Amino acid sequence: MRVYEVFLKREGKDEFRHAGSLEAADDELAVVLARETYVRRAEGDRLWLVDRAHVVTVDDAFLAPNADKPHRHNDGSLVADRRRAQRAP
Amino acid sequence: MEPAREVLLALADDEHLMGQQHAEWIGVAPFLEEDLAFCSIAQDELGHAAVLYEVLAVDEELGDADQLAFRRAPQDYRSCHLVELPCPDWSDALVRHWLYDEAEVLRWDALAGSSWPAVAAVVDRVQREEAYHRRHAEALVARLGDGDAGPRLLDSFRRLVPIADALWEPVAGEQQALADGVVTAPSAQLQARWRGGVDAILGPVDWDALEHPAQHGRTTRSEYFPALHARITEVLDLDPTARW
Repeated sequence: MRVYEVFLKREGKDEFRHAGSLEAADDELAVVLARETYVRRAEGDRLWLVDRAHVVTVDDAFLAPNADKPHRHNDGSLVADRRRAQRAP
Repeated sequence: MEPAREVLLALADDEHLMGQQHAEWIGVAPFLEEDLAFCSIAQDELGHAAVLYEVLAVDEELGDADQLAFRRAPQDYRSCHLVELPCPDWSDALVRHWLYDEAEVLRWDALAGSSWPAVAAVVDRVQREEAYHRRHAEALVARLGDGDAGPRLLDSFRRLVPIADALWEPVAGEQQALADGVVTAPSAQLQARWRGGVDAILGPVDWDALEHPAQHGRTTRSEYFPALHARITEVLDLDPTARW
């Protein structure tokens, strides 16, 4: 059995979103089964199935150093506040 | 009954009872995704029946759609024995699904361009649903046929093909329905195409050697009909105002 990750997209500008996953023996069975499992109430009008074996995954340890960098969350609000204060009469 | 109606009633009764039979797999299909798929297919077949019963129910002599679906005497149904048969084994249920939908597509094709506008108008919608039914049946039968389940499926085919082939036995009104353009191809012609499809997956079947059930132009019900009819009218018997 393979595991397929299921992505749905609604009509319009919404992006594809992960909807869940599904076990199936091959691509065709995944297609046939995902249709009624994930789109039976027209939850989307486009469907992607991705064999989980084809998903490129990244080590947690490779990502962890980026969890401790508050300076990257700077949204410029401190600078904006000072400039606003200087402009004020 | 007007001859053309009899032809449509045969299809409506088949769709109705096939839908009812498939629906009995709710909650007990072999795995969750198949449970959803098979029961969706059941709903589609019931939908096809409902459309046909609505079309036929404009004739007051026949009663409304619910009357037609549930409240006729057994001899007034025109179902084939294939759809009356209980299939509590999944292998049988799957093989019947394949055999039935292969036939159903051809039967609706023969209604495209029907001189009965209300019928011709629904063919497109039905065929879009049938494309899914066939792809579903084909995907499962092809893959299971190659695996350990192959002999079980073959055994189901061996028992069900003669009963399914009898689905093509025409009703009394067929000639008139053809002359009126209500249906555009005789059942014998559709049967030949259907047999070709069966041959393609089973290898050549000795069609002349098959023993068909005695349906008498679909005027007699199988031994299984009373129990099936009792199950599908259970709710109406409790509450005659219930709606499906």
